[in-house]
Amino acid sequence: MIALAAGGPVIPTFGGGGSSFTCERANRLFCSSWLSRNWGPVLWPALRQHIVLTLIAVTIGFVISTTLALIAYRRRWLERPVLIITSILYTIPSLALFELLEPVPGLGLSRTTAEVALVSYTLLIMFRNTLTGLREVPDEVRDAAAGMGMGPLRSLLRVELPLAVPAIIAGVRIATVTVISLATVASLIDNEGLGVPILTAISNEVFKTELIAAGALAVGLALTADGLLVIIQRLLTPWTRAA
Amino acid sequence: MQRSNYRRALAGVLTVAVAVAVAACGSSSSSSSKSSSKPSSSAATSGPGAGKPPIVIGDKNFTEEYILGSLYQEALEAKGFKVTLKGNIGSSEITYKALTSGQIDMYPEYTGTLLTAIAGDNKPPTSAQQTYTLAKAFVEKHGLTVLDQTPFYDSDALAVTKAFAAKNHVASIPDLKKLGHSLKLGGAPEFATRFAGLVGLKQLYGLNPTFVPLAIGITYQAIDTGKVDTFDAFTTDAQLTSGKYVLLSDPMRVFGFQNVAPVLKASLVNTEGPAFAQTINQVSSLLTLDAIRKMNAAVALDQQAPATVAHQFLAANGLA
Repeated sequence: MIALAAGGPVIPTFGGGGSSFTCERANRLFCSSWLSRNWGPVLWPALRQHIVLTLIAVTIGFVISTTLALIAYRRRWLERPVLIITSILYTIPSLALFELLEPVPGLGLSRTTAEVALVSYTLLIMFRNTLTGLREVPDEVRDAAAGMGMGPLRSLLRVELPLAVPAIIAGVRIATVTVISLATVASLIDNEGLGVPILTAISNEVFKTELIAAGALAVGLALTADGLLVIIQRLLTPWTRAA
Repeated sequence: MQRSNYRRALAGVLTVAVAVAVAACGSSSSSSSKSSSKPSSSAATSGPGAGKPPIVIGDKNFTEEYILGSLYQEALEAKGFKVTLKGNIGSSEITYKALTSGQIDMYPEYTGTLLTAIAGDNKPPTSAQQTYTLAKAFVEKHGLTVLDQTPFYDSDALAVTKAFAAKNHVASIPDLKKLGHSLKLGGAPEFATRFAGLVGLKQLYGLNPTFVPLAIGITYQAIDTGKVDTFDAFTTDAQLTSGKYVLLSDPMRVFGFQNVAPVLKASLVNTEGPAFAQTINQVSSLLTLDAIRKMNAAVALDQQAPATVAHQFLAANGLA
């Protein structure tokens, strides 16, 4: 009825059998043997994908929200509609948004779908922070810039934007940490990132090493990214330290 | 003085923005070719699959499907095909929809499930071959086809603990009828609406249990803690080797015949060339009950990654 390959398949021992997996078979809370075996094939690729997902989302979100903020800075009427739309996007539960985007033609179970959702969560935070940062530049400073003969563009690029950097970066920090956390949920529709080992581990009834390891990586990534952004801010605004 | 600070700050902002953008683009292009983790990738750039359209393979939401997905992926990649694996998509119903809506090109499906859960055909077939033929006829009406089925079968089965079986004198599914509505029966949510599930158990055996929906990974935990009395197990589950559980016999074959056959877009067989179907059929022909049980154990008990286990099996059989 069903043709078998001559002599049947060769069945390897799969890593040496039970004695190589005592910790795993006993379902101890944390198996370092699992970690060393799965860092290369499972965790490292997942971490790399997670970083890429985050970088793309934050970069695109930064470009969109900064552009909108710069326009709204000069054209006040734009602020309200942008705030309303980005606030609505921000309040949609992530799980629902991923499921809503999935049937849209051209999106489906892809990285694009994940990025569209992730970007939409960064807009409100970065738009509001950038706009607030620009608005908080003291009028005297703006006047001084004008008095020095700077036109509006030069004043924006050389005076107002630099002074808004701490507020802008504060927005980038919140957006980045948010995206790192949400990107674990994105693995439901885009099978990559740290959400993959986390989801696999959740459906595992007894063995918890994978959940602990992947969870710790996600937390560690968020802390590292936040720390890096603090350093970037310090480098960009040396005057805030000099005081 | 102040001025030069601002200039430096502005230059800094621009440098960082550009650096971030470049990093994002650079890393995205280098990793986009790969969406699943796999050890010592042997993806060939030559071979019969080179230059053929890329294929998206999906798999369902449990261990055996992850292994099957990885097996077909790596065997095809070794022949030069370009393959993306979308793992852990969901239940049969969801994964089949992903196939018909074009999200994926192929996934490994159980012939009996195809017939009952997808086609809604509730007349239990009498043999594995009949199940395969009926399933094939059904999918071909929808622009799909199936390749050869595997020697192994993984049918659903009701499992109880040894202690429960002894206490209540049950050895087969009809023995559960006397427990009436007090019987707590666990299974994935879709089990409640399938003929090869609660519907068939009611119709064929007159059971009227209390249904407890369970996530697929926690069924053994649920029976160990007494949350359920019996649950929907799979005959190839690695946990069954522990001897703590008894599978109840199914004299009316409500769970049917469940060999695996990859279901795929019919057009793929032509566009991918003859080596495509040959490679997949070659992999399927190697999947005996013994082989798949040992691979399930390596993943479920030894906690190895499905792709690692698939790679070892293919390498041992000259297909990696």
